[in-house]
Amino acid sequence: MSPDVQGAFRALADPTRRTILVHLSHREMTIGEVADHFEMTRPAVRKHLKILEEGALISVHPRGRDRINRLEPRGLKSVADWVDHFSRFWDERLSKLQAAIEQEEEKSND
Amino acid sequence: MTDTTIVKTAFFAAAPKTVWAFLTDKDKLGQWFYPPEADLAEGQDYALMGAQGDGKAVKQCWGTVQRMEPPWLLVYTFTIAPLGGVMTTVTWRLEDVQGGTKLTLSHEGVGAAGAAALGLLAALDAGWDRHLGRLRECCSR
Repeated sequence: MSPDVQGAFRALADPTRRTILVHLSHREMTIGEVADHFEMTRPAVRKHLKILEEGALISVHPRGRDRINRLEPRGLKSVADWVDHFSRFWDERLSKLQAAIEQEEEKSND
Repeated sequence: MTDTTIVKTAFFAAAPKTVWAFLTDKDKLGQWFYPPEADLAEGQDYALMGAQGDGKAVKQCWGTVQRMEPPWLLVYTFTIAPLGGVMTTVTWRLEDVQGGTKLTLSHEGVGAAGAAALGLLAALDAGWDRHLGRLRECCSR
């Protein structure tokens, strides 16, 4: 699974971050504008935005002293494509399983 | 979105019962997936726990174990938080082949669950519909 896809999974797992995405679907916002919608400290909001950015669901653009958060439709497109999403998810899991079993077999052969 | 089943096969140079243990045993599952709170058991709910950003363990995937026929067949329902509780079905089949095990994974219901989950988001806010319209434009480019 590409880091983006795994990151997108993680970003979407949290209801607050899903709500942030809905807000950003109306218009781009500064951290302060996003924070206005929640009973949360600004650093907490920044942390959520960081995780959304890591998941490629939003992009952040400096404007003067502000940082503007913008929804990334392309990132969401990869998330909307659930079948492809899970397909890559399982590819990664199966290769980890392969490695874990090999390790186990080596141990028992010692 | 159509209801496509994902099918994956993998070959392991290990006996089926070894592979089975990695699919059902708490500690072994943790080595390649996320650790459940207990070994998987037929008829029981399970939850695979993983760390989130703040290091706190949260449910990553969960569902109910529907069938266990060790070491040949394991079926469980499966969902993740972004699917908003909509269940899919994961089936693991093991076959004894020369010198090892052939493992087949089938994951059913993903397309329908994805559509339902996005539907939930749409219900949250009409603005989402407009966004999805834009999304479709971007995707068809």
